[in-house]
Amino acid sequence: MLRIAVRIAGVTLAAAAITIACDGGLEPERICPPSLVGLCGTLRFRGTIPDSTDNVFIAAYVTFPQTCNDLINNRKPPIPGSVTYTDSAAAYSVALDPATYRWVLAVWKKVGNLTLTPQDTALLRVAGYYRDPADTTQPGIVTIPAGGTVGNIDFRVEFDSLRPATDFVTCTAQ
Amino acid sequence: MHRAITALLLLVAPLPAVAQRVLRGTVRDTHGVPIQAAIVGVPNTTLFTQTDPQGHYRLTPLPAGDVRVRVAAIGYLPTAASVSVPAADSAIADFTLEPSPLELPPLDVVSTKVARFGDRPATSVVQIPARDIDQRAVNTVDEAVDKAAGIQMLNGQINIRGSTGYVQGLNSRVLLLVDGVPMNQGDRGGINWDVLPVDQIERVDILKGAGSSLYGSAALGGVVNLTTRDVPDGLHVRVRLTGGAYGNPPHEVWRFRDGTGLEGGGDVSGSYGTATFGGRFAAGARHSDGYREQDDGDHWQIATRARWQAAPRTRVDMSGAWAVDHYDVPLAWCRQGECDDRGQSFQPFKIPTASLGAWTDSRKGYVAAQARTVVSERFAWQARASWFRTNFFDQRPPTGSEFGVANRFGAELRAEAHPDSTRTVLVGGEVTYSDVTSDIFENHSQSEFAAYGESDQAVGVVRFNVGARIDFLAVDGGSLSAVVSPRLGGTMPTDHSGGVLRASIGRGFRAPTIAERFVHTFAEGLEVIPNPNLRPETAWSTELGYTTAPLFRMLRLDAALFWTEARELIEPRLILIEQSPNDSIPNLVPKIQLQNVTRARIAGLDAAILAAPIPDRLIATLSYTYLSTRRQVAGDTSAAGPLAFRPRHLVTLSGDYSLGAFGVGADFRYASRVERIELEGFVDSRRVPVRVLDLRAGWKHGPVELRLLAANVLNYMYNLVPQTLAPVRTVTVTAVWSH
Repeated sequence: MLRIAVRIAGVTLAAAAITIACDGGLEPERICPPSLVGLCGTLRFRGTIPDSTDNVFIAAYVTFPQTCNDLINNRKPPIPGSVTYTDSAAAYSVALDPATYRWVLAVWKKVGNLTLTPQDTALLRVAGYYRDPADTTQPGIVTIPAGGTVGNIDFRVEFDSLRPATDFVTCTAQ
Repeated sequence: MHRAITALLLLVAPLPAVAQRVLRGTVRDTHGVPIQAAIVGVPNTTLFTQTDPQGHYRLTPLPAGDVRVRVAAIGYLPTAASVSVPAADSAIADFTLEPSPLELPPLDVVSTKVARFGDRPATSVVQIPARDIDQRAVNTVDEAVDKAAGIQMLNGQINIRGSTGYVQGLNSRVLLLVDGVPMNQGDRGGINWDVLPVDQIERVDILKGAGSSLYGSAALGGVVNLTTRDVPDGLHVRVRLTGGAYGNPPHEVWRFRDGTGLEGGGDVSGSYGTATFGGRFAAGARHSDGYREQDDGDHWQIATRARWQAAPRTRVDMSGAWAVDHYDVPLAWCRQGECDDRGQSFQPFKIPTASLGAWTDSRKGYVAAQARTVVSERFAWQARASWFRTNFFDQRPPTGSEFGVANRFGAELRAEAHPDSTRTVLVGGEVTYSDVTSDIFENHSQSEFAAYGESDQAVGVVRFNVGARIDFLAVDGGSLSAVVSPRLGGTMPTDHSGGVLRASIGRGFRAPTIAERFVHTFAEGLEVIPNPNLRPETAWSTELGYTTAPLFRMLRLDAALFWTEARELIEPRLILIEQSPNDSIPNLVPKIQLQNVTRARIAGLDAAILAAPIPDRLIATLSYTYLSTRRQVAGDTSAAGPLAFRPRHLVTLSGDYSLGAFGVGADFRYASRVERIELEGFVDSRRVPVRVLDLRAGWKHGPVELRLLAANVLNYMYNLVPQTLAPVRTVTVTAVWSH
């Protein structure tokens, strides 16, 4: 009886091994899928990923935000999905409406729930932004054509220099 | 004092008129089939030997009278018999062993340097016998080692219970021995697994834990000993041919060539032996198209071994090998924009255009001689000398080329004594001298002088062993620095059926290699600067393990808890150097330097189940290793975290089913995704768990043997180190003819 049980366990283990081996592994990863309307590029990560990290997402603004309200209300996409954040580099893509964007940035989010209000800024930090290739002290401008994709929007994410929203906007209303 | 001198004289003095007394015979299984590599000997003495392919053995010199001879082999129930040896004659004794698939390896050499016959080691030892190597039809030794429990190969670097990680060939925290002779490179300290043809290997013994108390530097995380096949009496010829094909990329967008990659090779060896002399010569070559872009490789080798019974009590063994490899080097896979990426963020089968034309020419070889004199059944001494040479030339466009020539000379003298049946004493001394001529390591030398001793004592049922070694190290003839490596271990049987409890604690160390001290090159666009002041890495390793007796006549369990505390581990660090100290404006330039900065803790569980649910037909093993690692970097609190390249979970499942001349088998390996890698921020950190299934089949009839191996049969795509695709599906057919 025990011998039969051991055989059954062995067969089960072997079947499990084959099932597991059939799954996953490295897969092709398009940088910019043809169906995408938006922008894509590579994020190069520097520094140590904070333990309290929830995610990192890409946000874009048609006009540079002036207040915390602008920061939350004018964000595209309004409810962002996380991009891959690693200890080196990762390609990213984000769907956006066709428009000219004057600030494209990576936002670091602390663990916690977003409320889509200015209070969210307590959970968010500016981790890096796309810079004008001609003047890297200034944000770069990106225009997404109708039905098209803009690639090579590459920039750095500095985990060691996460900056609060107040470095960029006025948040007196909070 | 007089008693001590008398005892010593009794030990070393040869017994009169024992030279001609020889015990010879054959060891077979219950079907009459000869058993190769069975051990025949007298426990707790210097007397033991092993059977040749025909099952013949020859044990000498024996004392007159009744001798209790023990015979054992992996997979068979050991037996013992009293043999009466006439005063001036030989005796014949044939033995038959019953199959017992749960039996453990009968001989342990690697854990104590003295052949321990029938005793379990105090530290975990894994043995891979020739049968397993043959069944797996592998082409290199590292492919066979990779299947052992608790061990993972990372691009040619061996990781025993998480000891080494991956350091891109700059060192190894595991010592490689070939027939007991150290074979780590003289410059980089790494291991050339292809220095010996796999066909010449009798078995592989792996010590899982610090072995520096006997072996010195590099045995910080473990020791691997390759035992080459002995030269049997008579004329023997062996031909081994292999041919195979690599699987194509599973996705069309990853295709990089129109055809299918092929590999193939052949080895021929011939030997002739008598009772006095024996010699073997082997030669072989293989070619591989590789499974990636720019992955062609050619390998040629010769190997030789000779034995000479110089006197009835003295045996001399000589061996040597020379291997040449010329291979293209796919340095790293292509990332977006680095090649024709076809819109992919990475192309794992392709390389960056800038790396096209990279190749390496690697030559390595050794000669070694050992003499062992069995003065009596209580005393023996052994001497060895060796020379290991490596020579590499790397062509690395666009930066240029690098070369290095290294020699490692070694000599050792040791004596073993068995004052009585409960005690074994080993003392010895060892000298190693390494020199390097290289454009990136410059011209340097390193010397090591060592003395060691170990005593093994049975107290009732408990067996203790205690030992220590002191190593003196000198670089370029400079002052000596000393490292002491003690070790304490013990075993205790828990029943009469083979259950054994074991415990050990020992200190290991690894001297910085010449390459680590003096490397001056460029990596990732940064200058790598030398650090001649590096100190040895050290570690305390402890283990508590238990092997059960066979359970229900079909299971045997083994489990070990291990804990290592390592200090001053050498790791590359990014530092800022003031380039122009006289300028009023500071100009800090980042550079890479190897430094003694890391403390680490490696703890975990290593467990294995050996099962034989269908006697004589099916044997299976399931092993699991859990690793918990933690590192602290001096002066950098942000660098705390797990050690790089150590998977937390490692599972190996193997099974072999045999029916007459046919056999089938499978290996499945799982390793969880590593939590941290080195050079974070500079390399593509993309990585996945390892899930690899190998299938094999074999047929043996008379002198002919056919093997089919489908490695990574499901063509699972994974990488073990950054930007380096691990082998894809490879189907290989191997034919062996032995005479």
